[in-house]
Amino acid sequence: MSEVQAAGVIHDLGYRGYDGPRLGRAQIVRALTWHSFRSAFGLGRGVKGKIVPVLTFTAMCLPAIVNAVVVARGGTRLFGYDVYAPALRVALVTIFVAAQAPELVSRDLRSRVLPLYFCRPLRRGDYPLAKFLAMTGALLILIEVPLLITYVGTIASAKGGSAIWAQTRALIPGLGVGLMWAVLFAAFGLVLACVTGRRAYSTGIVAISCILTFFLALLLIQAEGGMTATSTGARVAGLFSPFTILDGVRVWLGGDPRTGLVADPGRYGPLYGVLAVLLLAACLGGLAARYRKASQS
Amino acid sequence: MPPIEAPKDTGTSATAAPVTENPVIETPVIETQALTKVYPGEVTALDGLNVSFAPGITGLVGANGAGKSTLIKILLGLIPPTSGQARVLGRDCATSGEGIRTLLGYMPEHDCLPPDVTATEFVTHLGRISGLPSTVAKERAAESLRHVGLHEERYRLIGTYSTGMKQRVKLAQALTGAPRLMLLDEPTNGLDPAGRTAMLELIGRIGAEFGISIVVASHLLGEIERICDHLVAIDGGRLLRAASITSFTQASQVLAVEVEEGLARLQAELAARGLAAAIQAGTLLVPLRGDGTYDVVRDCVADLALPLCRLEQRRHQVEELFREDEETQYV
Repeated sequence: MSEVQAAGVIHDLGYRGYDGPRLGRAQIVRALTWHSFRSAFGLGRGVKGKIVPVLTFTAMCLPAIVNAVVVARGGTRLFGYDVYAPALRVALVTIFVAAQAPELVSRDLRSRVLPLYFCRPLRRGDYPLAKFLAMTGALLILIEVPLLITYVGTIASAKGGSAIWAQTRALIPGLGVGLMWAVLFAAFGLVLACVTGRRAYSTGIVAISCILTFFLALLLIQAEGGMTATSTGARVAGLFSPFTILDGVRVWLGGDPRTGLVADPGRYGPLYGVLAVLLLAACLGGLAARYRKASQS
Repeated sequence: MPPIEAPKDTGTSATAAPVTENPVIETPVIETQALTKVYPGEVTALDGLNVSFAPGITGLVGANGAGKSTLIKILLGLIPPTSGQARVLGRDCATSGEGIRTLLGYMPEHDCLPPDVTATEFVTHLGRISGLPSTVAKERAAESLRHVGLHEERYRLIGTYSTGMKQRVKLAQALTGAPRLMLLDEPTNGLDPAGRTAMLELIGRIGAEFGISIVVASHLLGEIERICDHLVAIDGGRLLRAASITSFTQASQVLAVEVEEGLARLQAELAARGLAAAIQAGTLLVPLRGDGTYDVVRDCVADLALPLCRLEQRRHQVEELFREDEETQYV
């Protein structure tokens, strides 16, 4: 025996089963969410997959950096935390959602990988839930990190605790608005993107839906006398696009009506709130329905 | 029954008794009772199917549209049956789908691989979705890919793989979750003959050496009978036949002999030597009972001095098998 050992033995370990602990469903959903979140930023993908998320994120941070420079040289904060740079934010959120929502859902449809998910211990709603959480997380990074940079850039030059406290109090509603945007546009982008497995088409569908509705709302607001108008038409014109709906909700909840995207909704504020909730529910419902069907194919 | 230990000093000793099959009736891995699935539009895919699958490798054969894929999807809990019951590994498919899916590995018939990730990444990710902790998922992905023969190439993008390699990745992802039962839907689809043989050998090895029960769905009986212990044939959503492999192969292993003339004489000569051959469409079908059959046929042809033009082992499709049973009755 000792001779054999001295000569060395090649061990063919053969097949080994696994009887150890397994993750519960919640942890599996978390694993899928994390995987999807990473792919929303192109991590685990080639260089091509990183271009859009990196560029949009960098562009989104630019106003925050400019603000930091201006404040450091003695100026005041350039924009409110709750609106940031509104036009830029609309453009970049559109680009990010149009490019990355298909990355999360169309890809799996295209390569028909879904049966491999649904033959594993997931329930039907788990897959769209994980994708929604991942996309929301990705949008939170895109929207909130520039706000935090703005905050840090501003308080770095602030004098005294009360100034810092004032900035912090202004920041909190800004983060809340960012959360609203992230949740709604994650659902909105995913439900449109999962219509087809053809990535170019889903990108087109998302982009066109965002841009067309936004310009429709913008045109209506202009036609009704612009941002400062107080006619009923101007007050409800913002209901035609998800961006302006959310801005209406912001103003309704106490935001400054002079800095955003819509005219002051006035007594139609609650309508904006209800519509935002309905739109979110419709998007999530559509997403769940889409995968209830897909899991059986 | 205590395990029989072979003497350590003389491994090849004749005294070591062969391990006999466990006489206790094994609990079936799959059981269905009156399982029926009617799709919208009154399409009946399964029609009161009663069948049980024993542990080991079972071939699930049936023509296209016989209900094989529908049965597999019900077993996975992906679609609910219209009526009836199905149990997998002792659990009810209708109520404990998640628990069953933890113990199952599934290889779909169609393409299901994203082209832009590496095989390692993809199989690791699916291992996580099967509920494996992160490090275990990585280890098992590497191991599964090694078992299917993709050790060197596993860091390449799946899009660069050949069809045969893609089939192996599909098999590896089914294996990676450490299943107790694997459901393989047409695993040799799209492969060339050498690739088919390699895939079947791999499946045979997984079933025999890894201790995993396997159900292989195929419309090519002649192909999967080589690796199966049992066969289940379904047609039109009903059970046609379920038996151990030996009773099937007697019917399915056939040598097709074609001669330019004297077919009846050859049949008589073969009958005289104990081979009951049947004539079907100008071809003599001789039941194949091992290599000796070839010799007998050769000798008969030589003795009768007949011009032989074809001598080949037949590959059966399952519907052919049953049609042939009917035809041979009145030869």
